[in-house]
Amino acid sequence: MIELYQVIAIILGLIAILYSISRFRDGKMSIGMLLLWILIWLIIIIISLYPNDTNYLASYTGIGRGLDFVLILGILICFYLIFKMYNKIENIEEELTDLVREIAIQNKKIGIEEDENILNESDIENPEK
Amino acid sequence: MKIFVVVPAYNEEKTIAKVLLELLDMGFEIVVVDDGSSDNTYSIVNNIIKQKKRGILCKHLLNRGLGGALKTGIEAALIEKPDVIVTFDADGQHDPHDILNISKPIINDEADVVVGKRNFDDMPSSKKFGNTVMNLITLIFYGIKVDDSQSGLRAFNRKAAEEIVINARDYGVSSEIVGEVKKQNLRFKEVPIKTIYTDYSMTKGTNTREGLKILVKLIMNMLK
Repeated sequence: MIELYQVIAIILGLIAILYSISRFRDGKMSIGMLLLWILIWLIIIIISLYPNDTNYLASYTGIGRGLDFVLILGILICFYLIFKMYNKIENIEEELTDLVREIAIQNKKIGIEEDENILNESDIENPEK
Repeated sequence: MKIFVVVPAYNEEKTIAKVLLELLDMGFEIVVVDDGSSDNTYSIVNNIIKQKKRGILCKHLLNRGLGGALKTGIEAALIEKPDVIVTFDADGQHDPHDILNISKPIINDEADVVVGKRNFDDMPSSKKFGNTVMNLITLIFYGIKVDDSQSGLRAFNRKAAEEIVINARDYGVSSEIVGEVKKQNLRFKEVPIKTIYTDYSMTKGTNTREGLKILVKLIMNMLK
């Protein structure tokens, strides 16, 4: 007997895998992340197909029920992904700051003495002087 | 003796003109970093350096925070080969005369980095609490005990300014600089300075909320 949640999870998983592959083909996702996402969604699909098998894993790791094991695993994966994302954003912020700094220094405005300026211009016009 | 004063400014149109004119009249060179202000800070500073024919103005196209602005200012100042680089807040809380006080140990070659320490007893209680917490955080994360880790008035000799690596973009930069002093084995000194607390400067800088934000950030950086 297949329950409704199993159908939803399997369809969701397949859509997510197809979406990940299409993002990879568009060059918007690295191969490493693609493999990771496919793995995650495959695990979700397999768990949905054979929910009772998680009980083995649960008793093996000492976590009471199969569903609890799945939930804990899911939360851990979420934490890992959030952490990875945080670091990535930090790196992007840093690169953005470096870029903004470079532009700021290249385009700096300098207050210069007027006399010096005129002297320099005449030097350029009459270099032999 | 070339003393360059780096002034990071974010939306400081009310105070910056007075601060810069005082600095220029005292004969200091200035480097202003407009950190993506949305008010008239940039045009006010631009007019001053045009009028006085002195000073350097760098504009951040986007707001990157205090640490980002300080690093830009120090890098721009280093191009001019200064003897001393001073950082100075744009909100008018520092007395320009203190620049000489904090530069003295550097000119006399007694220190590489000098931080002007404010008197915590003069502070309103929320600021006092925030700054005390930040001193503790600096001690815990960088292992260096200082009287005022968050002061905006600092002086560096050229060697120190070149060696210190600034990564923090926000207010955490103050602790980071103190930490770098230890890491790079620089000679460090704290000199008492005057602080002018106005209603305006009260709304800025290290309060409890900012302190907590820095704490979270430091812990995240440790886990990285």
